[in-house]
Amino acid sequence: MVTIQSKEFSLEHIANKVRGNNHNVGAVVTFVGYVRDFDKKDSKHLINMNLEHYPGMTEKVLQDIEEKANERWSLSAVEIVHRVGKLKPSDPIVCVAVASQHRDNAFDAARFIIDFLKTEAPFWKKEFTDNGSYWVNEKESDHKQKISWDIAKEND
Amino acid sequence: MRINILFFASLRELFDKESLVLNIESKINTPIKLIEYLAKNDGGHWVSLLQRKTNIRVAVNQSIEDWNSNINDGDELAFLPPITGG
Repeated sequence: MVTIQSKEFSLEHIANKVRGNNHNVGAVVTFVGYVRDFDKKDSKHLINMNLEHYPGMTEKVLQDIEEKANERWSLSAVEIVHRVGKLKPSDPIVCVAVASQHRDNAFDAARFIIDFLKTEAPFWKKEFTDNGSYWVNEKESDHKQKISWDIAKEND
Repeated sequence: MRINILFFASLRELFDKESLVLNIESKINTPIKLIEYLAKNDGGHWVSLLQRKTNIRVAVNQSIEDWNSNINDGDELAFLPPITGG
């Protein structure tokens, strides 16, 4: 299930929800992404950020990623929660939770979902720092991470 | 034909608007033809958009498509700057 919201989420609530009352669930893997301040070498500090998205398309893309994960691994349930709006350093931004019978599928699917979310879901971050504001650039490493899943599939 | 154009993030700021409805000739039937046409005829920010096109993806009716894909009457066409969620 996909949820886009501005308010903070509870990891415990999401982990319980993804497990449900399913006695066949043997593993729940959760990933939480947080707003990070800059490295010391960047000599600037993050004041806050604004996260915007493309309503409608975002949900569609994330549901599609969830379906792809379900096709690839045997999973019991998936929860994807992403926040939008104003966020400050240390705020949680995103949560991916995957429940499955055994841990391997849950670990792999959680990683797959966050990797695809990073490159496919239409979200944009604008950072406000003590040295000006700007739109965040995409990271080459995120694309490489995503492409590695396509290569892994070819080798399956 | 009528095309509903959406701008996000840096492009919304560049155009200073979230959306725009355009009535265009039906022979302008792909996103690339559309921005080439607008860059030539209206100039302005369309020229910058055209210059930045290798870094911008297009979504037609909320699905990522090619710059050469077809657009039809009533379509929603969005220009997406580099995505940075998560």
